[in-house]
Amino acid sequence: MADQQDVALMAHLLRRAGFGASRDEIEAKAAQGYDSVVDELLNPDTVPNVEEDLLMRYMPAYHEAAAIETNIQAWVWRMINTPRQLQEKMALFWHMIFCAGHSKIDSGQEMGRMIAMFREHGMGNFRHLLWLLSTSPAMVYYLDNSESHKTNLNENYGRELLELFSLGVGKDEEFNYSEDDVKACARAFTGWNIAPSYPPFPYGRSPWEFRFDPADHDDSEKTFLGETGNLNGDDVLDIIARQPATARFLARHLYNFFVADDVQIPAWRLTPPRDMKAIEAMEKAYFDSGYEIKAMLEVLFKSDFFKAEDVRYAKVKNPAEMVVGTMRLVGEHRDIQPGLFEFSQEPKYMGMDLMNPPTVEGWHTGREWIDSGTLVERINFAADLMGNTELPGVQSLVGRLMAQGDTLTPDQFVAGCLDLTGPLTVTDDTLQQLRTHASKDGDLSTANQAEFSRRAGEMFQMIAATAEFQFE
Amino acid sequence: MSTHFFGLTSRTYEYSHSVGRNEFAGTGFRNPSDMAVDAEGTVYVVNRSYENRPDGVRITACTLDEEYISEFGTYGEEDGNFIWPAGIALDSQERLFITDEWLNRVTIMSKDGEFLGKWGSGGSGDGEMDRPAGIAISEDGTVFIVDSRNSRVQKFTLDGQYLGQFGSFGSGPGQLNMPWGIDLDKEGNVYVADWRNDRIQVFNSDGEWQASYGQSGDGVGQFNRPNGVAVDEDGDIYVADWLNDRVQVLAPDGRFVTQMVGDHVMSQWGKDKLLSNPDMIRQRALAFANDPTYERNFAHPCAVRVDSQDRVCVLDHTRGRIQVYSKVKDPVLV
Repeated sequence: MADQQDVALMAHLLRRAGFGASRDEIEAKAAQGYDSVVDELLNPDTVPNVEEDLLMRYMPAYHEAAAIETNIQAWVWRMINTPRQLQEKMALFWHMIFCAGHSKIDSGQEMGRMIAMFREHGMGNFRHLLWLLSTSPAMVYYLDNSESHKTNLNENYGRELLELFSLGVGKDEEFNYSEDDVKACARAFTGWNIAPSYPPFPYGRSPWEFRFDPADHDDSEKTFLGETGNLNGDDVLDIIARQPATARFLARHLYNFFVADDVQIPAWRLTPPRDMKAIEAMEKAYFDSGYEIKAMLEVLFKSDFFKAEDVRYAKVKNPAEMVVGTMRLVGEHRDIQPGLFEFSQEPKYMGMDLMNPPTVEGWHTGREWIDSGTLVERINFAADLMGNTELPGVQSLVGRLMAQGDTLTPDQFVAGCLDLTGPLTVTDDTLQQLRTHASKDGDLSTANQAEFSRRAGEMFQMIAATAEFQFE
Repeated sequence: MSTHFFGLTSRTYEYSHSVGRNEFAGTGFRNPSDMAVDAEGTVYVVNRSYENRPDGVRITACTLDEEYISEFGTYGEEDGNFIWPAGIALDSQERLFITDEWLNRVTIMSKDGEFLGKWGSGGSGDGEMDRPAGIAISEDGTVFIVDSRNSRVQKFTLDGQYLGQFGSFGSGPGQLNMPWGIDLDKEGNVYVADWRNDRIQVFNSDGEWQASYGQSGDGVGQFNRPNGVAVDEDGDIYVADWLNDRVQVLAPDGRFVTQMVGDHVMSQWGKDKLLSNPDMIRQRALAFANDPTYERNFAHPCAVRVDSQDRVCVLDHTRGRIQVYSKVKDPVLV
């Protein structure tokens, strides 16, 4: 049987490598063993997938869905329900780096297809992922490569590929590439374009297809990052994949997303990583494995720097994590049912318009998720759900609390609720406030189950409103 | 000179025309789930639409010659409203019976859209339903409802009195796994699209199992989540092979006859929409040259009905249209 430390560590893993879990799931996984669960997360094919046929049966419009709202709903439903939690978390990870947005693409279906690509290949080979990205019609359009021609170059994709998708501007106070490299990169990708697609009316858009036009490709000699030849996009991706800067870029992103909030990306050239040893360990895994993202993730999740107590509840939940994590905890929308649209819009109200990042740079993370408006939205959302004792997950928590004894003192009551909703560690001030509130009604007795349930729901609501609940 | 003839060659199917386009209101359909065709060739299409476009939830009435008649029913939980409308059938008085998978009820409406009544409640007891899907009504007025999450078919009177049931969860003969569509042949036998078992099952009118056709796959006589089933006057069976994007035709004994994958040619309503937008006309022309099959083929066909003139109507969920075929017994030059 797993002890309290095992449960706390497993809860940490499932918050970071997934979107959290119910207490029942956490305890079952803790009993399974930490390394075994990590291996399962890293190998999603070993666990069942979401039941896609059921999803499309009850939400039949999800097939080739044109509307962006429908694609977001389907994605949020997957985040809540997929047993392959890390796979879905990686889709979010890449969406926050390889940013393309519906505001320009104007095709919900293409946004959905891009996320599906991240889902399928997000733990695969990074060089291959870059190729998929470079041939993704949505990205080709979003960053204007469809407007980049042999005779009329558009540098947008070439620049962002280097700056935001692979090398980063610089590391260790040096620059990773020059303006000439940007031009050479853009020239190498000329001719990478999109085939004509059916318009929205009268029968719906066809999926966009990548098309290479050799007549529009600049096949002349180029020099890119010191290598010279008649380079094309594939050659450029090969060169990018073997750069130490690429390994650094990936390692810092993974650390920032899964371990601890780091400085924002534009500062990475001048600001060293928060934990250089952790970064170096992941860089080594990148090269040792031949650019496999899964190898880097295995190092990360099995490391002491990930398991350390001081990184737990030290990352601000992004809005998707806040919404989906709370819904998983309270057992909301675990079945396929109406009402998902409103929930799927909640991340937007909290500052994260899924499938529509503000710019190609994506969202600023960490404490920048929080402002006076989004904080109110976050608290209201979580408190409403956590206090709803009709929900199966909340009922389960209440049942567990009842099993702790016929009568709980206010201190036991607070401790029990904090344990069941995390286990969540709070500051002394917060703890005192919760205890003061619990003391107003004295001991909590199971003799009056309705009153027990009401007070428990109220305490869960108060916990959802604490500063600590904003972190994961 | 000698030659060889293979397969069941006594009938074939000729594409006639298409009806409809994707539309949230008026002359088109939005994510339709089922349809009923009356003796005059008027078709009543159930539009499921999707959650953030509840305005698309409705019943559309039009002719198979693509004359728009009316639309009725709206999203909601009040009388005459729908949340997840699923199946539709006509009784002998030509009243429309429409199932709702979320509200677990049957709504009765006139062909003019007047609300006439409702019955049904959620649950798993006798007469209760958990996501009712397909519906068929026999000539004697027995209503057969596919009670999908209870893995059974239930029988009711026209005013909702429980008469009986058959089927249970499983994959054995006569067992069902989330069944969907249903139809009756002229002898009163019941054909059920056993959705998650990827097969069609046949019962007599008393619910006794008669036959099962099909298995999982994309080959001949195999299905990938069949959802619609219809039987014509000759006993030929039409199956909307949903995730295989085709309709398979089986002989009365279950042997494979042929398949349809879609032959769409632009409907009039489709032309009307396109003609208002020259840019889309140009774009579509380029797209057609790149891939002529996209618009032509079925995309998640979800229901098949055969009308009194032997016209086989295939409801195409994703494309929002009906493709109409004629059953032809004379040789047809294709």
